[in-house]
Amino acid sequence: MKKIGVFVCHCGRNISSTVNINEVVEEIKKYPGVAFCTDYTYMCSDPGQDLVKKSIKEKKLDGIVIAACSPSLHELTFRNTAEKAGLNPYLTEVANIREQCSWVHKDIKEATPKAISIIESIIEKTKLNESLSPVKVKVNPKALVIGGGIAGIQASLDIANSGHKVILVEKSPSIGGHMAQLSETFPTLDCSQCILTPKMVEISQHENISLFVYSELEEISGSVGNFKIKIRKKASYVDNSKCTGCGVCSEKCPVSVDSEFDEGLGKRKAIYSPFPQAVPNKPVIDKENCTYFLKDGKCGVCKIVCTLNAIDFDQKDEIIEEEVGAIVVATGYELYPMENMIEYGAGKYPDVINGLQFERLLSASGPTQGEIHRPSDNKIPKRIAFISCVGSRDPEHHLPYCSKICCMYMVKHALLYKEHIPDGEAIVFSIDIRTSGKDYEEFFTRAKEEGNILYIRGKPARIIKQGDDLVVWCINTLTGKQLRVKCDMIVLSMSMISSSGALELAKALRIHTNDFGFFTEAHPKLRPVESLVPGFYLAGTAQGPKDIPDTVSQASGAAAKVMTLFSSDEISHSPIIASVDEDLCSGCGICIAACPYDAREMDERKKIVAVNEILCEGCGACISACPSGASQQRNLTNIQIDNMISVLLRSNTEQPV
Amino acid sequence: MKDKKNLTTEINPEIRDILIEMGAEDIYKCYQCGKCTSVCPWFQVEICDYPVYKFSLETALGAVASSEDKKELEEEIDLIYRCVGCEACLEQCPHGISTPNILRAARRLLVDFGSYPETLKSIVQKTHNVGNPFGEQRENRADWAKGLNVPDFQQGMEYLYFPCCLPAYETRNQKVAQATVGILQKCEVSFGILGVKETCCGEVIRRIGAENIFEEVTKANIKEFKDSDVKKVLVTSPHCFTTFKNEYPEFGADFEVLHITQFLSKLIDEGKIKPKKEFNKKVVYHDPCTLGRKNNIYEEPRNILKNIPGLEFLEVENFNRSLSLCCGAGSGGLWLEWEKDERIVNVRLKQLMDTGADIIAVACPYCLQMFEETLKSMSTDIRVMDVAEILYETI
Repeated sequence: MKKIGVFVCHCGRNISSTVNINEVVEEIKKYPGVAFCTDYTYMCSDPGQDLVKKSIKEKKLDGIVIAACSPSLHELTFRNTAEKAGLNPYLTEVANIREQCSWVHKDIKEATPKAISIIESIIEKTKLNESLSPVKVKVNPKALVIGGGIAGIQASLDIANSGHKVILVEKSPSIGGHMAQLSETFPTLDCSQCILTPKMVEISQHENISLFVYSELEEISGSVGNFKIKIRKKASYVDNSKCTGCGVCSEKCPVSVDSEFDEGLGKRKAIYSPFPQAVPNKPVIDKENCTYFLKDGKCGVCKIVCTLNAIDFDQKDEIIEEEVGAIVVATGYELYPMENMIEYGAGKYPDVINGLQFERLLSASGPTQGEIHRPSDNKIPKRIAFISCVGSRDPEHHLPYCSKICCMYMVKHALLYKEHIPDGEAIVFSIDIRTSGKDYEEFFTRAKEEGNILYIRGKPARIIKQGDDLVVWCINTLTGKQLRVKCDMIVLSMSMISSSGALELAKALRIHTNDFGFFTEAHPKLRPVESLVPGFYLAGTAQGPKDIPDTVSQASGAAAKVMTLFSSDEISHSPIIASVDEDLCSGCGICIAACPYDAREMDERKKIVAVNEILCEGCGACISACPSGASQQRNLTNIQIDNMISVLLRSNTEQPV
Repeated sequence: MKDKKNLTTEINPEIRDILIEMGAEDIYKCYQCGKCTSVCPWFQVEICDYPVYKFSLETALGAVASSEDKKELEEEIDLIYRCVGCEACLEQCPHGISTPNILRAARRLLVDFGSYPETLKSIVQKTHNVGNPFGEQRENRADWAKGLNVPDFQQGMEYLYFPCCLPAYETRNQKVAQATVGILQKCEVSFGILGVKETCCGEVIRRIGAENIFEEVTKANIKEFKDSDVKKVLVTSPHCFTTFKNEYPEFGADFEVLHITQFLSKLIDEGKIKPKKEFNKKVVYHDPCTLGRKNNIYEEPRNILKNIPGLEFLEVENFNRSLSLCCGAGSGGLWLEWEKDERIVNVRLKQLMDTGADIIAVACPYCLQMFEETLKSMSTDIRVMDVAEILYETI
């Protein structure tokens, strides 16, 4: 029989105000198997831990129960404490009498017996615990970064610069993401492409980075330290080893379609490179629009004009298999579809455009060479209305969240418009201007004053086309006056949404997203760059709306986490995983189907289903599926669970625990 | 200059709590964006300034219907009863706040105090006394059906046809009820009417704020329907429709209700009605607020009209479906008089006439009445017809 010590924590008044600690200690002392029981104000403090260590040694304890807060907070603390006193860490258990007891009860008469029951059930578990040691897993120090926007670029460079190999996968023909589309960036107004392109070039030149553009992650298996991945490299019908990126093919291609890079305001060819500084600067053929593919080989102009014979219409998609130890998800964002704003005629009126479209009009590399012309008739707009919170902060019809960057890009848009067209008038319709970033409020003040920009407080209800004009209907809620403002063009500050493939990717990676497809961090404050599933890290707007400085910070943070993982050859993996009793296992294989991690594998020689200790995450699915009881969770066997339940059921609390 | 005391608002938690109790529970959701105000039909009436966005905050302060100054209170009553309950504001409110419900809470308070417009007082009284807001005699309620062989509802009949008070008594609207039964008879639908036993659904008196009388009328109607073993009801008025469908269940009603356009559209799709005669007119459809925005019935009336040979179907640009503009008759508006240049109906009629249509098609007796009355004083050839009337002409 084990000699078990129980340590009851007051957690200041968090526990002791609703649980009678003295009563608990006296009661637990009487419980069979308990050799020692005491209490302390803060068991997690240094003196508290010293008390635990001293008691283990003096009382020769061979199992301890800490009755305190949730094990998700201090289990590790106390396991380490026990280890220092010479006790196997897995003989330490935490009874949660705070979150599951004191915090949810008001009546001390109810909470005290419940706390006793909880502790007793954990004592029963501890009695049958075995000494275990962590499973050691080798780490493959190579990272996969998904998404080649500024987040993916920064994470890749940081990891690569630390001496580790990186595979960067981007689904479009070039890296650069949305940042490549922007004109100037707030609050400093530096040219977006000018600060981005050096990083893009660095990616292409870095010896530690393998870049796959026009590619997507096809398959993934394995777990932290050892993932196996398959990448689908879509056929571009251009042999990149021959192509020099001279651009003659695009020039001669007879097909012209809307350019994604110019957000539909400009045209591109069927064989194209999205923008002049694209990395890599090799064109791809868009099969959906190419005459050669649409009309059975009629055309092929690009092949004729290419003197290097780089066009290869027979090229096929390629599957590339790789192994990596960590994955950074940096899949970025899209704008909420304008078509959803029927009251603004968006998607119907060509002169009602979104923020990214306005960026393209402002950009020197854009469809109008940086001159602002409105899309419908190329007229120079003399009055533009900028409308904020379009799609965001509207839980009833659109999105409940604040998209964070729209206020600032709108402030910037209004200022840049006035710089381009000094005699034009910029009118901003907003309900709040949120400028919570370094130097942001100062930028807003400067932009408003220097640009003589009119800010009206109110959300417009309608945009109505009257002849050549677009009329904004609004009420200025500060003056109570009705407004019908005639404008030449309207820019909607559309909110950010997660990129279209994010949900599918999350499913494939088995990591979580929130209701809106943004990847969920392990802890909103303390673990903001990790996913809950080990080995996955989050960077940029894939995790939630954010601006460039925050994106770059998070990307570097994710890279640092990857480097921490890669800093040792092997990592420890919890031994609280499935095990199999070889005498009982009949090799039926039900567990193989139940396992979501591919961790159960048939041992053909022994005719049993073994556990792959590296892949097993200890979820318990195979254990509940096993018909013979051969599969058991270590230190949480069926007998332990039965014993715990028996204690809880015989408890004399009035309410069920 | 007003004296400073009158300009200072004191927070009145007592009034606020009463208003919340009476249905203004949405007030704390408001973030004062003002979208409600510029989408309100009164925004389109040039000389009118109707500050819809202020109502939530004023209610939260308890500063609604709480003035002791007689003139001030009168002005406030004017604002509170100006709302036509069209829910254009609710349709666009980012937080789903129903200003009509907030104002209805204020109306209930005013009705309790007896401080509400005399014309509305009279329709509440008449509905209470004779079962219709016009004060017409109960025994004349089925006169519209004389000579049409419309049977009284009996156990075993599939549908009760419930025409609403306007088609029962008002001469122009009676034609709609007559056309409707004409179609039903032609399609051999099993139906009857309650005739003189029929009583107003009570929608308008609830909107006016006379909650107690509404409850009385509702309970009596539910009992009548139960006693007569009514399982399915066909209605002409979207106002009866929404009350039966969305509000009667609070009081224990258990019957199915279909708007006549839903029923007729289905008969067309099933091939049971085949419009044959050409209707060579340009027809613009006006979405009634209560049918469209409140009950999401946009396609059925359009489906009926689009199936009529020769008919050229028109939409009001920018103001159709959920963005349709009210005729001004809702929530008691039919009975309130506004100056000629201060009427929503004139704005809506202009939008409808600007389409170049010959006929304005409606699917609501209130809209029909409102448009007919207003068109009388205009020199125009445009005519108003109910969708059922148009359909009846072509079969």
